[in-house]
Amino acid sequence: MTELVPVLAVLVPALPFACGLLVLATGTPGRADRVNLATAVVSAAAALVLSATLLARGGSAPLRGGVYMLDGASGVFLALIAIVGLCSALLSPAYLRTAGRSWFSAGRSRHWYYAAFYAFWGALLAVPIAGNLAVGWLLVEATTAASALLVAFTGRRHALEAGWKYLILTTLGLSVALLGIVVLALALSRHGGGGLAALDWHALERAAPGLPRQTTLVAFVLILAGLATKIGWAPVHNWLPDAHSEAPAPISALLSAALLPTVALVAWRVKLTLAVAVGSANARAVFLGFGLASLIVAVPFLWRALPWKRLLAYSSLEHMGVVALGIGFGTPLAIAGVVIHVAGHGLAKALGFYAAMPLLRSDPAAGRRAPSGVLATSRPTAAAMGLSLGALGGLPPSPVFVSEVLILLGGLAAGDTAVVIVAALALALGFLGLLHALLEGVIGAPGRGRSPRRHRGDRPIAAMTVAIGTGLASLTVAGLLLPGSAFVVTLARGAL
Amino acid sequence: MNAGLVDLILALGFGVIAVRRRTVAVALIAAQSLALGIGALTLASGRSSDYLVASLVLLTKAAVLPALLLVVLRRTREPRLVAAAAPGLVRLGGAAAVAFAAVTLVPPLGLGDARTEHVAVALVLLGIAIVVARRPAFVQLLGLIVAENGVSLLAVSVPGGLSYVVELGALFDLVLVVTVAAAFTHRIYAELGTGDTELLRALHD
Repeated sequence: MTELVPVLAVLVPALPFACGLLVLATGTPGRADRVNLATAVVSAAAALVLSATLLARGGSAPLRGGVYMLDGASGVFLALIAIVGLCSALLSPAYLRTAGRSWFSAGRSRHWYYAAFYAFWGALLAVPIAGNLAVGWLLVEATTAASALLVAFTGRRHALEAGWKYLILTTLGLSVALLGIVVLALALSRHGGGGLAALDWHALERAAPGLPRQTTLVAFVLILAGLATKIGWAPVHNWLPDAHSEAPAPISALLSAALLPTVALVAWRVKLTLAVAVGSANARAVFLGFGLASLIVAVPFLWRALPWKRLLAYSSLEHMGVVALGIGFGTPLAIAGVVIHVAGHGLAKALGFYAAMPLLRSDPAAGRRAPSGVLATSRPTAAAMGLSLGALGGLPPSPVFVSEVLILLGGLAAGDTAVVIVAALALALGFLGLLHALLEGVIGAPGRGRSPRRHRGDRPIAAMTVAIGTGLASLTVAGLLLPGSAFVVTLARGAL
Repeated sequence: MNAGLVDLILALGFGVIAVRRRTVAVALIAAQSLALGIGALTLASGRSSDYLVASLVLLTKAAVLPALLLVVLRRTREPRLVAAAAPGLVRLGGAAAVAFAAVTLVPPLGLGDARTEHVAVALVLLGIAIVVARRPAFVQLLGLIVAENGVSLLAVSVPGGLSYVVELGALFDLVLVVTVAAAFTHRIYAELGTGDTELLRALHD
C-alpha cells in the first residue's frame, strides 16, 4: 500500500474540495443531501485508507515527498478528521431540515452549507499531510474562512457575533504566527537556508542545532502564541465558547473534535523541530504554561450550570490544556497519552455535540440555559449525553481516563512533579463539575412541562451512540497497549 | 528598504487608527500596501526571480484589496458615523504607546535593520490595536490588513526574501478572509442597520 501514498496524499485533501463543488452544482436541496452522503463516504474512505497505511507502518520513519510528510501522528489525526467529518456530514441533512433561517437564500442555503463544509474538511485533512511549516500555516488559515461562515450559518445576531469574533481573533492570531514564521525564515537565511524548502519539517529539524537561540526563541514564542488562538488555549481562547455554542451542531463537532487538535499537531511539530534550537526547557515551559492556564481557566466554568454546547466548549478548553501538557512533557508515556487523548476526546466531544441536535429540537430553550432531566424525556439523547460527559470527565474505563493517567505519569517521568500535582487537582475538579452536569442535566428531574416522548429523529443519535461507544471502548484497549510500543517511541523521539 | 518608505508605511498605519471616515481609511490602506509593494520592488534587483514574483504579488495586493473594500463600502453605507470608542487623539496616543512598546520590548531579530524590524512588529501590534479600539466592523477588518502588511514588510526584508509561494498563499488566504469578513460586514449591517460591533456583545458567561 505504501506505493499509493503519494497519490493518496494529494487525493485525500482534494476529494472534499471536489465534492463541495459537486454538491454546489446540484439542483434541488434534496439532491444536495443525497450527493453529500455519497461524497462524504468516498472522502472519508480515502482518508481512512491513507491513515491505515500509515498506522500499519508502526514505528517506521516518516514518508516524505515534495509536499507531504506522513508519520504516525498523521495517521492518527487523519483517522480522527475523517471519522468526525463523516459523522458530521451524515448528520448534516437532519440538522438542515430543522435549521430554520439561514444566512443564505432559502433555496441555496444547503448548497452553500455543504460547499463551506467540504472546503473546511478538505483544508483540515491537508494539515496533517503538509510537510512544511509555512504550508501548514496557509492551510490552518484557510480553515478559518470556511469555518467562520459555518459558525454564522443561521445568520442570527448571536451567530454573527460568534462568527465575527472567531474570524477576527483567529486571523489576528495567525498573523502573529506568520510573523514568527518570517522571523524563523530570517534566522534560517543567516545560516544558508532559504526559500520554501527551508521550512520543511525535515529541513527545520536538521537546521535547528545551528540556529541562533534568541531569534529562534522569539520565532518559537510568536508561532506558538499565534497558533494558541486557533487551538483555543487560555488566555487567548475568547472566541471558543461562542463559536462552539452558536455553530450548527455538526460544525461544532468538527471544530472541537478535529480543528483544535489538528492545529495543536502543528504546534507539536514546531516543538519537535525547534526544541534543540530554543532549549528543551524553554519549549516545555511554553506548552506547560498554556496547558496549566487552559485547565485553570476552564475548571470554574465546568462547575457552572451552562447551556449544553457552552459546557462542551469549556470542556474543549480543558482538554486542549491536557494535550498541551502531554506535548510539553514529551516523554513516551505522555505522548502515548496525547495520542489516545486526542482520539478519545474527539469521539466523545463529537457525540456530545451531535446529542445537541435532538436536545435542541425537543427543547429549543436548552440553547440558552442548562438542560435538566433529559433522561425522563428522551432516553437516546440522554444516553448520548451521558456517554459523552462520562468519557469527557474521565470516568473509568473511558479512554480519556487512560490518557490522562498516561500524561500525568509521563509528567512524573519528565520530573515535572509540581505541574502534575496542579494538573491532577484541576482534572479532579473538572471531573466533579462534569459529574454534577451529568447528574443534574441528564439524570435529574426534568424541567416543568416536559414529558416523555418518542421521536423518529432519535434513531440517528442512538445509532451514533452505539458506534462511538464502540470506538471509545476500542480506544481504551489501545490505550493499554500503546505505551512502550515502537509507534509511540518514534513519535516521542520526533523524527520528522 | 529605504528608511523614508518604512516610516511612511508606519505613518499610514497610524492614520488608519486615527481617521473616522471609512473611505479615508481605505485610501490609507491602499497607499500603505502600494508603498510596501514599491519598497519590495526596489529591493528586487540582484535577488532571485522568486523575489520579483513576491514583490509583484504585493503590488497586486495593493490593487485587489482596496477594490474589494470599496465594493463593501458601497454596499454598507452608514447613515451616520459610528460613535468612536475614544477620541482620535486618545486612539493615536494609545497606538503610539503600542509602537513604543514594540521598539523597546522586542529583542533584535537579526535582520541588521532595527528600523524595519521595529516598524514591522509595531504594525502587527497596531493592527491588533485597531481591532480593539475601533468599533465599526469594517475598520476592524482594516486592522487585519495593517497587521498583515507588518508581516509582509519583514518578509520582503529577509535576505533573499520569503518564497513567492508563501507570499502568494498568504495573499490568497488574506483575500479569502477579507472576502468572508466583507460578507460578514454586509450581513451585520443588514441585521443591525449599522456596522457597529458594540451591538454584538451579547455572548458571555
